Amino acid sequence: MGKKVVLTGNYSASEAAALCRPDLIAAYPITPQSSVVEYLAGMVHNGKIDANLVQVESEHSACSVVQGAVAAGGRVFTATSAQGLALMYEPYFRMSTLRFPMVMALATREMTSPETVWSGQQDAMSVREAGWIQVYCDGNQEIVDMVIQGYKIAENEKVLLPVNVCYDGFYSSHLTEGVDLPLQEEVDRFLPAVHFNHCVLDPEKPFALDPLTPGPLMMKYRKSHLDAMEAALTVIEEVDKEFGDQFGRYYGGAISEYRTEDADVVILTIGGMTGTGMDAVDLAREQGIKAGLVKIRFARPFPAKRIAKALAGKKAFAVIDRSVSFGWSTGPMYMETRAALTDVDDKFAHFSAIGGLGGADISLDRMLGTIKKLDTVKNEPGQKETQWYMTD
Amino acid sequence: MSYIDVLREAKDVVTPGMSACQGCGGELILRTVLQVSGKNTIVGIPPGCMAGAGVVGWNYANGLEIPVHIPLLDNTASFLTGVSQMYERKGRTDVNIVAVAGDGATADCGFQSLSAAAERNEKMLYVCYDNEGYMNTGYQRSSTTSRGSRTSTTPIGSVINGKQQHQKYLPLIMSMHGLEYCATASPSHMADLVAKVQKGLAASKKGFAYLHVFSPCPTGWAYKSEKAIEVARKAVASNVFPLWEMDENGYKLTENKNPISVAEFVQGIGKFKNLTPEVIESIQKVADARYETLRKLSAK
Repeated sequence: MGKKVVLTGNYSASEAAALCRPDLIAAYPITPQSSVVEYLAGMVHNGKIDANLVQVESEHSACSVVQGAVAAGGRVFTATSAQGLALMYEPYFRMSTLRFPMVMALATREMTSPETVWSGQQDAMSVREAGWIQVYCDGNQEIVDMVIQGYKIAENEKVLLPVNVCYDGFYSSHLTEGVDLPLQEEVDRFLPAVHFNHCVLDPEKPFALDPLTPGPLMMKYRKSHLDAMEAALTVIEEVDKEFGDQFGRYYGGAISEYRTEDADVVILTIGGMTGTGMDAVDLAREQGIKAGLVKIRFARPFPAKRIAKALAGKKAFAVIDRSVSFGWSTGPMYMETRAALTDVDDKFAHFSAIGGLGGADISLDRMLGTIKKLDTVKNEPGQKETQWYMTD
Repeated sequence: MSYIDVLREAKDVVTPGMSACQGCGGELILRTVLQVSGKNTIVGIPPGCMAGAGVVGWNYANGLEIPVHIPLLDNTASFLTGVSQMYERKGRTDVNIVAVAGDGATADCGFQSLSAAAERNEKMLYVCYDNEGYMNTGYQRSSTTSRGSRTSTTPIGSVINGKQQHQKYLPLIMSMHGLEYCATASPSHMADLVAKVQKGLAASKKGFAYLHVFSPCPTGWAYKSEKAIEVARKAVASNVFPLWEMDENGYKLTENKNPISVAEFVQGIGKFKNLTPEVIESIQKVADARYETLRKLSAK
């Protein structure tokens, strides 16, 4: 067993990253992520970890410096939020398309405008076509465990892709919880030293990394990237089991389910709202509604088959998003959930719910309201109006 | 060893079949830098003329005999920071970490990452080949384009005549970053260039070394390709591009007591053909003032 400690979400990410023995960490501040890299800087400056720390001048450089270190064979870590993620988009996209494994913590935050520093998942959702694996956590223990699992998934030779460990800004990043922090020797046993060599710049084995690439070869690369995403769905489940077998904590892989076995109506959640959603399910059950919950853990790769299986035979579902999909008048995970289902309008009553933007609360009442609405419309298949969790 | 012996004995690691323009200063600079740096080198060459000419590789073939990456236009110094730090971690500090980048990737959108890497004193040699514009995309203006120049985005118009601003003098800005070594050089002065590449490589084992090299461009500047070295020599002779270096002993200017005039330098260069006497005079003033500043900095 590990060490019982009390940590914020950000410190959980830092402690877990340190346990993975990174070679290089790039540090640049942005609310609400800043304390991740501050904490790691303290560990480096106090000799608690043997990592190179590069205090860069921007997120663009944070992503670029760690990219260079991966190109020289290193294990790397950095963290960001919102505007920082937007600024690093250029090297960020290239990290995945170069097939560079790494883990980056993302304390999710709304995108400006309007000017905001508060929670929301618009930043992470906006880059889900950038080729990274994305996992969304709903508690500090899960942050610790997914940073560690993240390297194992990223560096798997069938995957070789970077992983974003996302958690809700402030709600998770600044919330303090008890955490079982694995011991170093346990993590060393789970996560071997970094060993990939498909992209390492070395004068002893000279090659051109990323020459001008003609379309037919690029098509092969893109397909191989998509195949790796597909393979990651299996690797995610394998790593979840291996981690659970060693540390006693299983997360269910790409999704997890709560009271869905006999449910008629199901809410789908992502990230930190999940705990409230489970309480709402319990309350609804007390009121006689057969409710259940599916937690979408990985948005990339999207676990379409598992979601379809979890919803098979149910009467109604709603997907609660902490972000919007411009042009669809819904949340993005709702659209993707729909896309995962066949004959959705014949089989289900369904709608999108949007809440928690810019740090607004996703309350128990609101989620219970969504479940009650599902129960009301469950025998009328088809899409219903998007629910907005407005406060007035 | 004389620079001729150095270049005779060192292998050219650049493909003989690259597609740079005839008389390209950038190609000569790239070949020379990498010849001196040798095979134990990792080089970053961002988008620009050299990458466009195929030295990073294209058509399923590599362009260099050494490991090369084309970083983004704006992150060369950051990317190489990661490479350099990892090589130091591995204990392989013998490997030269080198950038060869144009002025756009250096002085414009790459400046933020360059300035930061220099301030952190990252261990690398960063070489800028300054042809005063975005030549690879058809000669658009950059911040190092000299005043009055005709470029694609500062054309000779009936209302506005060429670039309206003087160039940003990047090498002096770089020298203020507290780096290990900073110098200007020109392919017209090959002994000086080779010596500065050698000093820069030696300095890159201790920290950041920056070399700003004048890169004559017949295609963009509109002069005959055989005049490239002559144009570069006149740039130095007129003090438009003075040669100097800075190391732990301070600044050292290569004195030029009898300069030719700016008017003589711009003669025969197409991009300058619409310069008015007033603009020539203002370029002359800037060149004189810059030389005077460097002379004072170099005074013992």
